[in-house]
Amino acid sequence: MKKSIILFAMIGLTTFAFAQKKQTTTSAIIIFDATTSLDKLPKADNKTVIASLDTKTGNVAFESVIKSFTFSNPKMQEHFNGDKWMDSDKFATATFSGKITNLSAVNFKKDGTYNANITGDLSLHGVSKPITTVATIIVLGKTISTTTNFSVKLADYGVNGGAIAAGKVATEPKISVIADFK
Amino acid sequence: MQTTNKKPWLKKLLVIILVLFVAGGVIIYLIFTEKFEDTGKQAAVFSISAAELIKEFQTNDSAANKKYVEKIILVNGTIAETEAVDSAINIKMKDTLTGSYIIFAFQQQHIKEAKQLKEGDNVSIKGSCSGGIYSKILETEFISFKRCALNK
Repeated sequence: MKKSIILFAMIGLTTFAFAQKKQTTTSAIIIFDATTSLDKLPKADNKTVIASLDTKTGNVAFESVIKSFTFSNPKMQEHFNGDKWMDSDKFATATFSGKITNLSAVNFKKDGTYNANITGDLSLHGVSKPITTVATIIVLGKTISTTTNFSVKLADYGVNGGAIAAGKVATEPKISVIADFK
Repeated sequence: MQTTNKKPWLKKLLVIILVLFVAGGVIIYLIFTEKFEDTGKQAAVFSISAAELIKEFQTNDSAANKKYVEKIILVNGTIAETEAVDSAINIKMKDTLTGSYIIFAFQQQHIKEAKQLKEGDNVSIKGSCSGGIYSKILETEFISFKRCALNK
């Protein structure tokens, strides 16, 4: 009797584990590029981003600590975190939560390259706005590599520093998100 | 020549303006071409074990953020995980009970030495603390570091 209970419990746990399709990484990358012809300095990356992908529901998300963005220039990093830009003391993270809207077009069990349409909310500087983007998903064995590129209008998120008005920082910086799930 | 003699102050003023202009240009050039110092050569403000640091953030993360953010900290602990990122590597130290972790992203010139590290190694890593937050995705506290170097 005891053996049967243990066996059933193990089968139950195994089924539960296989039903969970949420994969996570703590080393996703976000590249922020706000360079202009006047200034090549406002470019940074954060390589400690948390990202998740649920291959069953198509839910995708990321969390990025603003202070983790690394610039080559100390003054530029200070401006980026300052109250006229990202105000990272007050708004510590940028987050995204969304969904793959054409999930049937992506076969996570078969090696290949797929285009996934993603819609969700990007929260930045205390403002949340819907965004739509296309991600390239490469399935290779047990590894799922995802990349997406999109732009955000800083004014939409209440970021209106003097450097932006002076043309030194792009009004619509390019954002790249790269996440590998293994 | 006559004009100069009549207005010697004008010549002086022009020289002062020129000097200020050049000095201003040099200062701006230095500010915008400055790079972050090599963390390996910087002195740590705090030296702490990974377990103690995680505990401080778990207990009161706003106080811990105030204390450690943007400061160079030396963290001593055992490597729980290594994660490939781009062509580099991130190192993690973990509290196995709660899942809370510290993650270190290395400065360009220190990536090579970080790649030699493996799970289970006892190390001291120096880096700029970006702070700790509670992850809603992982439902745990995590503390991130940037521009890290292996302490030798």
